[in-house]
Amino acid sequence: MVFKMARGPADPEIKAKVLEYLGKVQKAKSRDVAVAIGASKSDVDNAVKELTAEDLVEYLYITTTFICLKGKVQTPD
Amino acid sequence: MTEKNTPLLDELEKGKWPSFVTEIKRAAVKSEAAGELLQVLERSYKERRGHWKHGGIVGVRGYGGGVIGRYVDEPQTYPNVAEFHTVRLLQPSGWFYNTKTLRTVCDIWEKYGSGLTNMHGSTGDIILLGCKTEHIQPIFDEFSEAGFDLGGSGSCLRTPNCCVGPGRCEHACYDTLEACYNITNEFMDELHRPMWPYKSKIKFSGCANDCTSSIARSDCSVIGTWRDTLRIDQEAVKEYAAKMNIKAAVCDKCPTSCLTFNAETQELSVVGEDCTRCMHCINVMPKAIQPGKEKGATILIGGKSTIVQSAFMSWVIVPFMKMEAEDDFAEFKDLMRRIWEWWDEHGKSRERIGETIYRLGMTKFLNGIEVAPVPQMVFRPRANPYVFWNQDDLDRSGTALDGSKL
Repeated sequence: MVFKMARGPADPEIKAKVLEYLGKVQKAKSRDVAVAIGASKSDVDNAVKELTAEDLVEYLYITTTFICLKGKVQTPD
Repeated sequence: MTEKNTPLLDELEKGKWPSFVTEIKRAAVKSEAAGELLQVLERSYKERRGHWKHGGIVGVRGYGGGVIGRYVDEPQTYPNVAEFHTVRLLQPSGWFYNTKTLRTVCDIWEKYGSGLTNMHGSTGDIILLGCKTEHIQPIFDEFSEAGFDLGGSGSCLRTPNCCVGPGRCEHACYDTLEACYNITNEFMDELHRPMWPYKSKIKFSGCANDCTSSIARSDCSVIGTWRDTLRIDQEAVKEYAAKMNIKAAVCDKCPTSCLTFNAETQELSVVGEDCTRCMHCINVMPKAIQPGKEKGATILIGGKSTIVQSAFMSWVIVPFMKMEAEDDFAEFKDLMRRIWEWWDEHGKSRERIGETIYRLGMTKFLNGIEVAPVPQMVFRPRANPYVFWNQDDLDRSGTALDGSKL
């Protein structure tokens, strides 16, 4: 069993799949993204880390933390 | 002006204790936001309901935590606190600062925010209360330049916290300051990028006095202990005997009755294997009794306040772990990664790890993280509902289901 969280540069293919999936939904937990695109959770987390630094994805807190495409979700009323 | 309009808050200025109302009133002299904050709070007390909205998107580029969005529900009535976000800064281990650093924190915060601080909140961080969305990135940039980083918020590792430890306390069984610093640096990704079902906290206490309240307020408690026997200075015991009743104040209050005071010889003895390291005797007679020489920490899991389930105290999963060298920290880090991996896979949204263990069982958890059950996890068979024993185990132990002897 490998416990270590993925380190190093993210897989560009997974980053593209994450962006594609987030384009179809309003917001998601990264585990849901991992299941939907068939990637490991740690690889998705690593991809999201880079995508947030690139200003393409952002974190959203609504009782728990979600991810969404930058600018797609407005602050809820 | 604000004092006339806040009769309920004014009640909180009475008495001999410091008052946060007094401090906010002082801030209101030069901050309109602080003045409106008092008005909102007074109204909440009067109507008995909050007027704050929480959450949304407020953050800095690349980070998912460290800023908590706060919005007032009537921005037209309270325009100066329409956006009143909280910023959390990673605190230094043990909260040691020099005055120059504190001035830097205050100068940056007064430049962009309300000037109100909470040093230190229950999270441990430096908490800066009240700023507008447009100022978040400049605040972060200036604090970064000054050597600070944001703390945790959201579904991530919250800012690890420690007691003052060996910096000022003779009871510390390991260097909490170094452990907290070293382990925080290791888990920067987990701190800044929320990726889990919900929040996760680590608190480091140097001894069982647990000055960080880790057993009740953290998902992982790291509490200093020792695995040999109490060290007793009999000459110092005699000095205590001259001014106090050792039997009544110490021996009779020992939870396992492992201490005996011989009034004739004026000597104190201990049955080491019965001692639960509760610290009572050490607290009462610190000059005569010390922890053993072989020190380390007990690792516990699952403490939390009420949300999905009621409040939990954390459970022992590793009775003793050395916490001295880099290798010891590496062992702890590896354990934490296994724990988070298991929780991340099995936890439901908004479920703390203690609640996941409660739902799925301690046996599954221990199997998942590859830790073997040990007697220190339970008081006796069946005393802990999360560890199940086979009939063969019970027969061998000579203990019935109700804990009585067979």
